[in-house]
Amino acid sequence: MSPFLVRRLVRLVVVVLGVSLVTFAILHASGDPVSLMMPEAPEADRAVLRQALGLHDPLPVQFARFVGNTVTGNFGKSFFHHGQSASALVLERMPTTLLLTVLSMTLALMVALPVGIYSAVRRGRTVDQLATGTVFLGQSMPVFWTGIMLILLFGVQWRVLPVSGWDSWAAVLLPTATLSTFTAPLLLRIVRSSMLEVIGLDYVRTARAKGVSESLVIWRHALKNAALPLVTVTGLQFGLLLGGAVITETVFAIPGVGRLIVGAIRQLDFPVVQAGVFMLAMIVVSVNVMVDVLYLYLNPQIRIR
Amino acid sequence: MKRWCALALGVLALAGAASPAAAQAKDALVVALVSHAPTLDPHMHFERVGILVNINMFDSLLHKNRKLEYEPSLATSWKTLNDTTWEFKLRKGVKFHNGDLMTAEDVKFSFDRVLEPGKEKKKSPQYGNIRAIKEVRIVDADTIHLVTDKPFPLLLERLVFFPIVPKKHIEKVGDEAFGTTATVGTGPWKFVEWKRDQHIRLEAFDGHWRGKPAFKNLIIRNIPEVATQIAEIKTGGVDLIRNVSADLVPELKSHAQTYVSSAPILRVHYVELDMREAPFDKKAVRQAANYAVDKQAIIQKLMGGLGQQVATVVQPPTFGFEPEVKPFPYDPKKARELLAQAGYPNGVDITLHSAFVEFRPIFEAITQMLTEVGIRVNARMWDPGPAWNKFLQAEGKATNGYYGSWGNYSVFDADAVLHPLYHTEPGGWIGKWYTRVEGLDKLIDEGRSTLNQAQRKRTYSQIQKLIREETPGIFLFTQYDTLAISKRVDYAARGDEWLWLFDAKPKR
Repeated sequence: MSPFLVRRLVRLVVVVLGVSLVTFAILHASGDPVSLMMPEAPEADRAVLRQALGLHDPLPVQFARFVGNTVTGNFGKSFFHHGQSASALVLERMPTTLLLTVLSMTLALMVALPVGIYSAVRRGRTVDQLATGTVFLGQSMPVFWTGIMLILLFGVQWRVLPVSGWDSWAAVLLPTATLSTFTAPLLLRIVRSSMLEVIGLDYVRTARAKGVSESLVIWRHALKNAALPLVTVTGLQFGLLLGGAVITETVFAIPGVGRLIVGAIRQLDFPVVQAGVFMLAMIVVSVNVMVDVLYLYLNPQIRIR
Repeated sequence: MKRWCALALGVLALAGAASPAAAQAKDALVVALVSHAPTLDPHMHFERVGILVNINMFDSLLHKNRKLEYEPSLATSWKTLNDTTWEFKLRKGVKFHNGDLMTAEDVKFSFDRVLEPGKEKKKSPQYGNIRAIKEVRIVDADTIHLVTDKPFPLLLERLVFFPIVPKKHIEKVGDEAFGTTATVGTGPWKFVEWKRDQHIRLEAFDGHWRGKPAFKNLIIRNIPEVATQIAEIKTGGVDLIRNVSADLVPELKSHAQTYVSSAPILRVHYVELDMREAPFDKKAVRQAANYAVDKQAIIQKLMGGLGQQVATVVQPPTFGFEPEVKPFPYDPKKARELLAQAGYPNGVDITLHSAFVEFRPIFEAITQMLTEVGIRVNARMWDPGPAWNKFLQAEGKATNGYYGSWGNYSVFDADAVLHPLYHTEPGGWIGKWYTRVEGLDKLIDEGRSTLNQAQRKRTYSQIQKLIREETPGIFLFTQYDTLAISKRVDYAARGDEWLWLFDAKPKR
């Protein structure tokens, strides 16, 4: 393994450990799950339950145990979902959330790339102005609002798509569109501006002078250099999309991880929150490592230290 | 560009064809809930959303009809033998969904499973409901005796939701499978599948003793977002939604696909006043606060008329309600006078708390009305959750009072609201922090220690007169349960907030 990858993997472990520590600290500061579970029980009964759940130990002991268990992939059992393991609850819902996120990212790129390039090439024309306007609009709409508007239009007014759920491909369309509206504008802006930057450079002019066809100039020569900022932002956006999925999952009644975690926070279901946040953090960090690797491929001149 | 448009249209057309809204089956009834309970095991959770599902799959010994009168269910008759022994005759020939006959053994097993005699730590959160039951005795094949540790007047109320579960089946499949994949009861619908966070699917049980329910399939969808529920019912994706707020009622009333049904329920709104500290340690100030709030205006303007003003916190449909006790009228002048008498001619500054977010406008109206007579309120709205629970319930720091509501856990008895709100015993709920009314504890204890209903009625009448005078809170109103229902289904809201869907019929 190259030293670069080793360093990245070490950093991954540090980040994930940090995320776990923060989650752990916030959760334990936010209250006592036992008093939430048995609000009207006498203190003695609560103490018994606290003991059983291991919540009576000092916090450092609990954290050490949590880290130890995490290494072996054991996050403990959910307080709320009787006797079910926290990681199973999260893993059961993970494919849904990942599918939603990946589909949304794909859709966003499918829109952002051609439109961004086109408006860079036709800078100042109608298409460009239209695209820039849409960017403003798209970025200023909160996800839950977009979601409900799309439901009202496609589900209630025109009745072409199901309002909510996750049991048919038709049901997947609206949430995916909702989440893309959140990401596509930013990506579009990045594509447009980095294309603009590159398009005026000497090597592009040289390529044109050599008689290379215009589409080859744009797609091969210009885009590869313009892609660096896009790749960075896509990587960062992935994390934001996972966050946006929480809201989208609620609006569209989708059985995903985000909804599970939000519910678990309300119920102070420590193991489920920890397992969920840990796994999401792993995904985000892994995506960022992938972005770094992609950098090396895109521009061999870059030496990441 | 043309190609893109054609593709987009194609996708839309395809999606339209697959839309479940269009394919809604006629024999299915689809209900939306904001969440599902963590288990289908009726004894192992304490959530309204779980109870609403359970009642359609299980039967209890007793049932309540639409008028909220007791009706026989798995018990055909019942009587008290003495102050602590109740006799129940069991219905014969009742079948569980797996074909087994329901027996006295199953009834005893159901109680023992929650009571866990001899065990220190009880695993059922419903233990507190029936902890008064000391022993369950099988007398013969269709007679059961329930023996309580002391006279327990709430027993019948508690048995309306106490599902009877199959002993042999649970011993075979285990508790976990029983609550998730192998749920078996005697109710109108039987379990088919549970897709987590999506839906619970039930199917009519042919062998149900009441006969077959009108809808063959019952689907309980989990839709957390209210706006989405509304969109679903308007398009036929679901047939029934709960807790429709006042501002949405007109729209759903006039919609071509839906109608609205509401019923007064037990949930009573109040402002609990902190009697430990000034200024609410003075009776005159507490009464002034009651005169200052125009409850009728709130009901008409903010609740769309769906509320019923109450004289105290005891709800009209409960046992023990005293109609002779009249509500405080709206009288801001009298409020100012009382405030001046109490030594606050220039008014007084207080803080009120609330975590009742869905009723924020009402909280704001109350604080405004109080401020107008000189009780100047600093209103603090909390996010309901752990911090609030700790602040209010665990430490009682919410001085000078808080706005909230109480639903009696659907127990139609004055004790179920008076004890938690006003009794000061250490293990109690909220009264222990706020209420300091001389003699009130003793009266509440008296009310719960006899089965003599006439005597209990007298006690509760006395209590209501006492708290109307001493005003440990600002008494407001009871709420309505409001359902929006698809026009293809005939159903009506109930005063106990149950969704007893055996009563639901297709409309022709």
